[in-house]
Amino acid sequence: MMTEAVQSTAKPGVWAGLFCTNMALIFVLSITGAIEHPVPMILLACNMVLLIPLVKSASRAQEEKGAVSKAMRAYNRRFLTFSFIYMVVMLGAAFAAGKLAEGSPAMWVLAVLPMLPAFGMIWAMVRYLQEEHDEYLRLRAVNASMVGLGLVLVLGTGWGFLETFDLVPHIWAWWVFPAWAIGLGIGMALPERGGEVS
Amino acid sequence: MKNRLRVLRAEREWSQQDLADRLDVSRQSVNAIETGKYDPSLPLAFKLADIFGLAIEDIFLREEEQQAAAE
Repeated sequence: MMTEAVQSTAKPGVWAGLFCTNMALIFVLSITGAIEHPVPMILLACNMVLLIPLVKSASRAQEEKGAVSKAMRAYNRRFLTFSFIYMVVMLGAAFAAGKLAEGSPAMWVLAVLPMLPAFGMIWAMVRYLQEEHDEYLRLRAVNASMVGLGLVLVLGTGWGFLETFDLVPHIWAWWVFPAWAIGLGIGMALPERGGEVS
Repeated sequence: MKNRLRVLRAEREWSQQDLADRLDVSRQSVNAIETGKYDPSLPLAFKLADIFGLAIEDIFLREEEQQAAAE
């Protein structure tokens, strides 16, 4: 059978690069004190918009590679929905926090709210692993989540020690979820060794 | 693990996508199995055997067979 070399039009790497660069910039500006609360939260929430073209273009790339399944489509849809809710809640919480008195009970609600869509994204991953009947794609997703976990553990442990010795400033712990998601994306994008299409 | 999937497909003039449709998996999974990057589970190996009407050992090569084939 003839094999046609098709030039991929999907460029998830470009969107992922832009997303990560923005995250890194916001992080640097935040720890150096160039921007102060709630600006980093607002900027991070705005950056989440990039997840829409990123996930769409990654889905297109998966379709072109023949690596998509019904479960994967459902996962992409759920992940995007929860990302959108996360963005809205983060923005809302950042704006509302400034209007509330420190220590007010409503502040607890604001703090808990962004956790819900974050849990939703984890639920989407769990559902994917339950619904995916293609064992190879399931293995790839598990491996990718291990890359994410590894990234969080390495960065967290490393930063923790640096912070203990007062070499770097303190950062908020909620960075773990974006870091894990970035690791997951890197894990999914890692090229497979060898393999020809026919 | 080495296997004869490529030859068996070629004999039937099936593309990887044709085989993937029969197995109800992605084309990428067929490619990974065929190129030896992924060893399928027993249920999937039995499904492959059923599709080709062969025994599992007629599709996947034992280590000794792989060495013999290499020599």
